[in-house]
Amino acid sequence: MKKTFFRPFAAAFLLAAPLLFASCSDNSDPEPEDDNELITTVRYTLTPVSGGTDIIAEWKDIDGDGGTAPTIGTLRLAPNTAYTGTVTFLDETKTPVEDTTEEVREESDEHLVIYTPSPISLMTVTRTDKDDNGLDVGLSTTVQTGAAASGTLQIQLRHQPEGKDGTSAPGSDDANVTFPVVLQ
Amino acid sequence: MFSRFVTVLLFAVLCLGIVHTSAAQDECNLSLAGRITDHESRQGLAGTTVVLRPGQQATQTDAEGNYHFHVCPGTYQLEVRFIGYATEQAEVRVNGAVIRNFQLHPDAVTLRGATVRGERVQAPVPQASSTLTGQALQQTRGQALGEALQKLPGVSAIQTGPSIFKPMIHGLHSNRVTIMNNGVRQEGQQWGQEHGPEIDPFIASELTVVKGAASVRYGTDAVGGVVLVQPKALRDSAGIGADVQLVGMSNNGMGAASATVDGNLRRLPALSWRLQGTLKQAGNTRTPDYRLDNTGFWERNFSAAVGWRKDNYGVEAFYSQFNSRLGILSAAIVGNRTDLEAAIARGRPATDAAFSYQIDRPYQQLQHDLAKLTGFVKTGNGGRLTATLANQRDYRDEYDVIRSSSDAGLRNLPQLSYQNYTTTADVVWEHPPVGSFRGSVGLSGTYQYNRYAGGTRQFIPFYTNWTGGGFVIERWQHERLLLEAGLRLDHRDLRTRRLTRGFATDSSSYYGVERNRFQYWTPSASLGAVYDATPHLTLRADAGLVQRAPAANERYSQGVHSGIYEEGYDISRPAGAPPLQPETSYNVGVTATLHDNPRLNGELTVYQNIIDGYIYQVIGEPITTIQGTFLPWRFQQTDAVFRGVDATLNYQLTPNWLLNGKAAMIRARNRTLDSYLIYVPADRFEVSLRRDWTGQADARFSHSFALVRGTAVRRQTRVPGSEYDPQAAPDGYGLLGAEVGATLRLGRTPVEVSLTGSNLLNERYRDYLNRFRYFADEMGRNVTLRLHIPLNFSN
Repeated sequence: MKKTFFRPFAAAFLLAAPLLFASCSDNSDPEPEDDNELITTVRYTLTPVSGGTDIIAEWKDIDGDGGTAPTIGTLRLAPNTAYTGTVTFLDETKTPVEDTTEEVREESDEHLVIYTPSPISLMTVTRTDKDDNGLDVGLSTTVQTGAAASGTLQIQLRHQPEGKDGTSAPGSDDANVTFPVVLQ
Repeated sequence: MFSRFVTVLLFAVLCLGIVHTSAAQDECNLSLAGRITDHESRQGLAGTTVVLRPGQQATQTDAEGNYHFHVCPGTYQLEVRFIGYATEQAEVRVNGAVIRNFQLHPDAVTLRGATVRGERVQAPVPQASSTLTGQALQQTRGQALGEALQKLPGVSAIQTGPSIFKPMIHGLHSNRVTIMNNGVRQEGQQWGQEHGPEIDPFIASELTVVKGAASVRYGTDAVGGVVLVQPKALRDSAGIGADVQLVGMSNNGMGAASATVDGNLRRLPALSWRLQGTLKQAGNTRTPDYRLDNTGFWERNFSAAVGWRKDNYGVEAFYSQFNSRLGILSAAIVGNRTDLEAAIARGRPATDAAFSYQIDRPYQQLQHDLAKLTGFVKTGNGGRLTATLANQRDYRDEYDVIRSSSDAGLRNLPQLSYQNYTTTADVVWEHPPVGSFRGSVGLSGTYQYNRYAGGTRQFIPFYTNWTGGGFVIERWQHERLLLEAGLRLDHRDLRTRRLTRGFATDSSSYYGVERNRFQYWTPSASLGAVYDATPHLTLRADAGLVQRAPAANERYSQGVHSGIYEEGYDISRPAGAPPLQPETSYNVGVTATLHDNPRLNGELTVYQNIIDGYIYQVIGEPITTIQGTFLPWRFQQTDAVFRGVDATLNYQLTPNWLLNGKAAMIRARNRTLDSYLIYVPADRFEVSLRRDWTGQADARFSHSFALVRGTAVRRQTRVPGSEYDPQAAPDGYGLLGAEVGATLRLGRTPVEVSLTGSNLLNERYRDYLNRFRYFADEMGRNVTLRLHIPLNFSN
């Protein structure tokens, strides 16, 4: 009897052994995280149609949600002027910096960029690019500013994996930032 | 010997594949056993006569009051006679090994002859406890663990859509409810409200909930209570048996099949084994008006146990693995505050889903395995030493909706991937009785470490957690009074390594690692009493003190998780403020139980749990992120109190008609803010009427029953201010349910068949405790078909 007693014991240890050995490596440090969907920076670049230097504003939150407050640039534009606009979404925690705009362009039938000036008279933003279904995308825009004033411009990147219909309703925000705007 | 064991295992697996009901049953070797005790002294009664009908077999109990029969499957009448006591009779249905204990009441002429100091008596715990077993448990087959437990008064569940149920006892959940899976404390990512327990409920032959703090025995996390998931005991009579469960649901097309095979060798009666496996698959749930997109799920689970048991020692090895993928209602993952408000305003998901078993992002992918080795040795004179060593691995991957052309999309990577390893060791010594004292002394230790996979977000930091504790519980019994006192001391040593990201002046980002260590000694104490006021009325009272040290998530969780931004206390605590402190619970409970009466039986529990420094999540000031404004759920501490009543009443109208009523009410206050707490269960009432038909046990149909049930849940009006909840509590609701069932005899196999209908009126409703109540209605009408097929193969 004594002999057989140890055999189930041995079998049990064989069953448990892989788990016992699994629990031996608790000294590692966390690796830099690789949030594969992170957007740290929204950059809006405006080029005067009549020529001149580009105006760039950046909304940047390098440490992700929470923590240090984001840095928010101001869009300083001339009144009653036409611009062409390009929006860029970046992940600046990566080296080299990852340009998420490329992914958005590849999946343009699932994305929509929405521009909401406040007050509404501040400027008119018109999307100039279309996806395969003929719906707006909004990575490229034209901007016509109004009379001298100040206000804000909200830029939303809507991810609409289902039911993109040209309106803002489907999906959820991948980015949603608000820039101060000064027209002078 | 070992190779023969393997052969038997293989044979058993083959048997599982071929459901072969009429295997030669020349011998009927099911064990029907139990213990006869004096109801008042709880001592075993030696020499009691136990008569088995049909057949008129009779036996006498041994020195400790135990009796034992070997029988065929079927239904039997047991009669228990002992001079000086009232004769007891009971009907027992035998499908597998059955244990049926009797407590005899002294007759008018009391003869206290036999006073035998017997084996360990599982004396009743002073806390209220409820058990789901037998047919009541059978009628929950196919449901998630947390869903099934809601049948017990005082037990509710924090729900996340139709598939994730987190058990809640007397208003407390997650870090405050301990789940003991086959004697091992379940450890994983149990902090998450949307993390259901990674346990296959089909493994349980008994689900017990201890309602109220049982921390001295089960550790500091048992502040709210304990859920005990108990598998069937290993077979103790020679032969091979099997048990097949089949479940189908109409609403979501769920199908589940679970089978258990167990055996005991004739030539090695000490060796027993058991194999068990479950497959489950469900599609999109339908509410009365629409289907919920992406709410399908599947489970694939198995377990194996082998035990060697002699009178004086025994050892058991157990391994189980749980695998599941759970689709998350896509309409519920909304992101920022504007999207949340838009979803609430819309009142229902934007898209109408078709029926499908397809699971897309977002979903959770889970794996949990448990290996356990346990053994006992009797240390003479009734003492017993038990040791348990267990290892658990818990993997939880959460897949968010992402751009499919991104790197993670192309490689289908998860966005959150936690890994948790836990080793637990427990030693308990039940000392031999000393006078009227019985008791146990125990030591327990936990080593745990938690990681997230490279390439995923840090939500919970790396941590390593050592806890060690020791306890003493002593019971003193004299006649009808049992007193119990317990003391426990725990030490928790939590070390965290948290990644921090900064932004250097040259605008390049850098990483750092913030290391912290938190050490606490936390005491627990309890006092309890059980008093048998009459043979049919038992009174229980318990009082306890528990201190619980904060867990890693309460300190350092940070980020967006299932569309909700969560933040641990120590992430955003004001500069100079001390870190999160342990919480202290002062709890009392009183229970009166009417039992073994011919007509009226029931139970009433009244409790109060004062928790100073109660750690809870509360919506804070909105925070700005690049994805817009989020309402952060921050961990805070406050002083809280939970008070409540649970009641159950059974009234046997006639021998065949049973009326049952249940009620649970709870009132919780935030004492610091003089306000209410969020996510406290609303008042709940249930009434059912059941008709049983007694028939010949050997008839083709027997044990038929039918039941109608009405459930009413009031609107929760005791809620904190509207700034603490994105939407007001939903209206109350009433639901109608019904069950019919019977045992169908196929050859010698008694097949249990039942049909259960829930929400028969297809009522449109939302439950306050469902975290998806902002987005969608609850499940509509559902009809469940259940088949239970016990099989017996002799070898």
